[in-house]
Amino acid sequence: MATQILPLELIDRCIGSHIWVIMKSDREFTGTLLGFDDFVNMVLEDVTEYETTPQGRKKTQLAQTLLNGNNICMLIPGSAGPDS
Amino acid sequence: MSGSPTDFLKGVVGKRVIVRLTSGVDYRGILSCLDGYMNIALEQTEEHVNGIVTNRYGDAFIRGNNGGYRSRR
Repeated sequence: MATQILPLELIDRCIGSHIWVIMKSDREFTGTLLGFDDFVNMVLEDVTEYETTPQGRKKTQLAQTLLNGNNICMLIPGSAGPDS
Repeated sequence: MSGSPTDFLKGVVGKRVIVRLTSGVDYRGILSCLDGYMNIALEQTEEHVNGIVTNRYGDAFIRGNNGGYRSRR
């Protein structure tokens, strides 16, 4: 039988590595995952924020950031983000 | 877990932070306190809309449900 991996287990395995976070809105984040909680609020380090606007994609560099789990849609482990 | 959101929040109390709401509005100030709902109180707050200062508040309270994120700076 195939071994199951629960979603939160998968995120736990990503701690310390790069992750790409896509929000419900037109916003994306990439950075190194430092930790998360049961609500999937996340703490990221060396973060790049991508904001998709009608004028194009806007990039913002951020230091350590706490991301509210409320608006997170999808997580892509190991990815350097939309530019990769 | 040392990098958990709770630890992060404990670590940034008293520091300068940027709080961005889901609406895209930024509040920059000194984080004076917060609770389990992520309600937060800021001091010396500046309200930024599209990078332009639109308001200044001595003290500001932001209700946690406005989502967004906080960044150390």
